[in-house]
Amino acid sequence: MSEKFAAYAHPDALVSTDWLDKNLDTPGFRIVESNEDLLLYDTGHIPGAVHIDWRRDLNDQLVRDYIGPEAFAAMCGRYGITPETTVIFYGDKSNWWSCYAMWVFHLFGHTNCKILDGGRAKWVAEARPLTREIPEPAPVSYAVPPRRLDDEIRAFYADTLAHMKAGLPLVDVRSPGEFSGEVTHMPEYPQEGVLRGGHIPGAKSMPWAKAANPDGTFKSAEELRDLYAGTLGLKPDDDIVAYCRIGERSSHTWFVLKYLLGYQKVRNYDGSWTEWGNMVRSPIERS
Amino acid sequence: MYPPPLQDLIDLFAGLPETERREMLINMADTAPLYAPAEGETFDLEDIRKDEECTDTVGVFLTAAADGTISYKISLGPQVQTLTRAMTSILCQGLNGSTAASILEVPADFVTKIVGTELVRVRSQTVYYVLTRMKSAAKVHLNRLRAGTDS
Repeated sequence: MSEKFAAYAHPDALVSTDWLDKNLDTPGFRIVESNEDLLLYDTGHIPGAVHIDWRRDLNDQLVRDYIGPEAFAAMCGRYGITPETTVIFYGDKSNWWSCYAMWVFHLFGHTNCKILDGGRAKWVAEARPLTREIPEPAPVSYAVPPRRLDDEIRAFYADTLAHMKAGLPLVDVRSPGEFSGEVTHMPEYPQEGVLRGGHIPGAKSMPWAKAANPDGTFKSAEELRDLYAGTLGLKPDDDIVAYCRIGERSSHTWFVLKYLLGYQKVRNYDGSWTEWGNMVRSPIERS
Repeated sequence: MYPPPLQDLIDLFAGLPETERREMLINMADTAPLYAPAEGETFDLEDIRKDEECTDTVGVFLTAAADGTISYKISLGPQVQTLTRAMTSILCQGLNGSTAASILEVPADFVTKIVGTELVRVRSQTVYYVLTRMKSAAKVHLNRLRAGTDS
């Protein structure tokens, strides 16, 4: 294990591109690509990787919510994932969507998951193998999880409002312009239907990107501690809620806080700003 | 309603099952570099910019022919998404050789007919972006012609 990984709270939550390249055929793993660019997987992917589309596969198709336990079990079975399978996620955008997919897997108690440090961009930059061959894993049986663990790692609007009123730590991971209320969408993205700009009163700004290096890898444990324990003042036993605009960037921060730094109680407010900024009479602060 | 080459592409995509539609879109994305301007190539109009709503720089290069038709070359930055690359090829194939006036009248509703509703999401609205930029260049070209300042 590298010195960098060893310094994290849970080093086994990460794999390196080099390690994965040498373990592509190791039984017991399922590699999953999850992207923002919906056709990127089709242009070439890590051999053996299946594609999980965050909206098609993980979101309920009618209600703004995630799939239920039955659909999760069916999806896993379709992709050859059993409850014992180690799922290795990677994707574009410095692993936003792979962290999001991993977070959803955790909602169903499938915690045997890892993230590829550097994601798709690092794999491609290192000229490692890609294929357009779509794997066809033999369907397997995945026992339906008893429930979705929303109350453990997910925060709803009411939870977040109570969190705010209690003065507990809220981490806004959006860009500085979104936090200040100057803009209602992140740079380089279209407007996603938010009526008000600003942030949740009392939230502290720590853009997700500060946790990533330019090549998409996570920053070192020491650098991360400087950001979250140092700059934000988060303590190990803090009850933390992270949010962004629709929950994908805050999934990245959720992973950093929980697995790289070892914070015990971290929840992702997936409704995020597209819910908070649209909610009638929702308190907003601008700065 | 649509320029004939674009109508042909719409008809081609309309009959494809989802898997083949995706494959065709990937093929289109792969051919986007064919529509990039060549080194030293000159144009009647060049519009290169990085807009807030797109992930990278997009350059639109317009050439006007003596018969009143126009053709485009498009440069795309490396961060531009696959679907936008595909749409660039489709639009260059479908609109090159049309008049500026007819391009301005092309409705955007063909996009979902080509791409399918599954792939058009809030964050993939930039599939409309390249068409908007091409129309913008066509409008500038027409305005210049009307003002007699085309150069």
